[in-house]
Amino acid sequence: MIKDFTSIKKNIFKETNSILKTKKTKVFNSLDNVLKTYKEEYKYSSLLRKVSKKFDILRVDSYKKKKNIDKKILNQYKNQYSIITINGLFQKNESKIPSGISVNTFDKLNNTDKKIFHKFFNNQDDSKNDIFTYINTINYKESLLIKIDKNYSKKNHINILNFIISNSGESINHIRKLIVSNQNSKSVFIEEFISLNSIENFSTSVTEIIQEKNSEIEYLIIQNDKNNFHFNSINISQKQNSISNCFTFSYSGAVVRNNLNIKLKEKNCYSNMYGFYALRKKSHVDNHTTVDHMDENSISNEHYKGIMDNNSNGVFNGKIFVRKKAQKTNAFQSNNNILLSDEAKINTKPQLEIWADDVKCSHGCTVGQLDKEAMFYLQSRGISKEKAISMLLGAFSEEIIEKIENQFAKQKIKKLTYKKLEDFTS
Amino acid sequence: MLEIKNLHVSVNNNKILKGLNLSVNKGEIHAIMGPNGSGKSTLAQVIAGRKEYKVNKGSIIYSNKKLLELSADERAKQGIFLAFQYPIEIPGISTTNFIKTAVNKIRESKGKKPLDAVSFLKVMKEKMKIVKINQTLLSRSINEGFSGGEKKRNEIFQMAMLDPKLAILDETDSGLDIDALKIVAKGVNKLKSKDNATIIITHYQRLLNYIIPDYVHVLIDGKIVKSGNKNLAQELEKKGYDWVRA
Repeated sequence: MIKDFTSIKKNIFKETNSILKTKKTKVFNSLDNVLKTYKEEYKYSSLLRKVSKKFDILRVDSYKKKKNIDKKILNQYKNQYSIITINGLFQKNESKIPSGISVNTFDKLNNTDKKIFHKFFNNQDDSKNDIFTYINTINYKESLLIKIDKNYSKKNHINILNFIISNSGESINHIRKLIVSNQNSKSVFIEEFISLNSIENFSTSVTEIIQEKNSEIEYLIIQNDKNNFHFNSINISQKQNSISNCFTFSYSGAVVRNNLNIKLKEKNCYSNMYGFYALRKKSHVDNHTTVDHMDENSISNEHYKGIMDNNSNGVFNGKIFVRKKAQKTNAFQSNNNILLSDEAKINTKPQLEIWADDVKCSHGCTVGQLDKEAMFYLQSRGISKEKAISMLLGAFSEEIIEKIENQFAKQKIKKLTYKKLEDFTS
Repeated sequence: MLEIKNLHVSVNNNKILKGLNLSVNKGEIHAIMGPNGSGKSTLAQVIAGRKEYKVNKGSIIYSNKKLLELSADERAKQGIFLAFQYPIEIPGISTTNFIKTAVNKIRESKGKKPLDAVSFLKVMKEKMKIVKINQTLLSRSINEGFSGGEKKRNEIFQMAMLDPKLAILDETDSGLDIDALKIVAKGVNKLKSKDNATIIITHYQRLLNYIIPDYVHVLIDGKIVKSGNKNLAQELEKKGYDWVRA
């Protein structure tokens, strides 16, 4: 079904930097393992098959022409900090970056930053376990380092806007970055993937986030692209007393897979993982999360909620590892779903693996329909069926949206979510 | 205003109402009394438009319209209001937002402009006084964490906001202490006019000390078996439902 993966090796030779080349080669050698885990990890999402059908997935596209983004689109982000990429390539002139944060592609880094880059890059990701991160690692053309200085604490969010522009035919893009959040820093990112034409495309995005001591990061992902085959992997590694708040909002997309991997490496870490997905038509969204408690006294808290309508398909798989050393761990996980049609489907699977004996863990999932009593209550007050449905679905999303700390991000997501939910009236 | 003829209703193939007749004119207050399981709440839900209740036979004419052909929200827009026996809690929707949506949807159906935030707040403050409900309660999610009495007062508050032509109070008195009962009754009396009508469903005569009905009906086993004036309620209180059954 899928072509010979070993042919991907030739793409490694295009890498000019010797250290990156070594990293890529190491990853290449884990091909067997990657293909083996695919079977289990993609049990409910045959992404590889679907993508292979439409795209030559090992292909590396070359872009020579400079591409411009419509001013109207950029104006929506006026007066906001933004890191902009087009087809995986950083656009420095279009970006607006606050002081205290530096953003550069690998070849533009100074020697100190290069050292940081080599220390962390490709060390925390899932390229040896996941086929798509594997492809991303070997095929990305540009890797970005986003460095957040010590004590950075600007309240304003930073957009990460990944545009995909294709002049002719479908396109394949690989977006790759490393974020280093230094001690005592506090930052907020809103990442979006936006394709600017309706041609089908396949994109992968792999992000590694290193959180130094006492750092805090709020990271929001918005997936709202119609015909997009998209793979996204976020890999967070946390040191002592750090806090991560991750949000994944998925509203459309042909097939979307999200991997969220969190390592709580040291004591007293706090990790929140939230997600909300509202799927219609034939959308397929798969959220796979892993949190690894490696040391004492950390808390992880996970809550994903989703709505599936028509023939859409949702997958949730949440894994919690508590290692022997990780005593006094608190780990919570829950996944709630509403199915609006007889054809909609959700596969949900919570998993716990606990090696320590003094821990508090819980997990659970629910699948249900809209509450008939609540529907009648709203309708009996003159509210139409359609409006009542979108009100109840909005209420369902509220529990997740409420958790966003950054006020701008909260309002933006709320507005988008309620607008999306207006379509769910069947 | 409301004309129910030979109404037969079943739920999950259980026959609940078995040929009920009732006629309500504007300006009137009707009390429907009856033992548990006689079909009182079913009647209320059927009038309000609950789909799970199947009408097998009979008709309901309301203001010259065939009521059974209208959906629940259309009925509300025509002026029907049900104060629920067990108001449901809906987390995530604020009570104020909910009532604002309802008020404006009903206004919209009458071709009126929606109320802006300021005028809505003004009307709300006025009506809040009637049932002694406070603002903090209304900023919370619908009925979430409300006490039994607060839920019932919230129902009457909604009734005040929506200004219905026909209000049905389904055991609004149950679970209320005597003070709350007085507040609710006072609210209902204040909202009463010569143009609207009220149907009060209750087990006990207690509420009828505060809201004086024009007619009292006794509903037993899906049918109205006896009708009279307010004295009938007192007689029932003394003699029990067996007295009518006999």
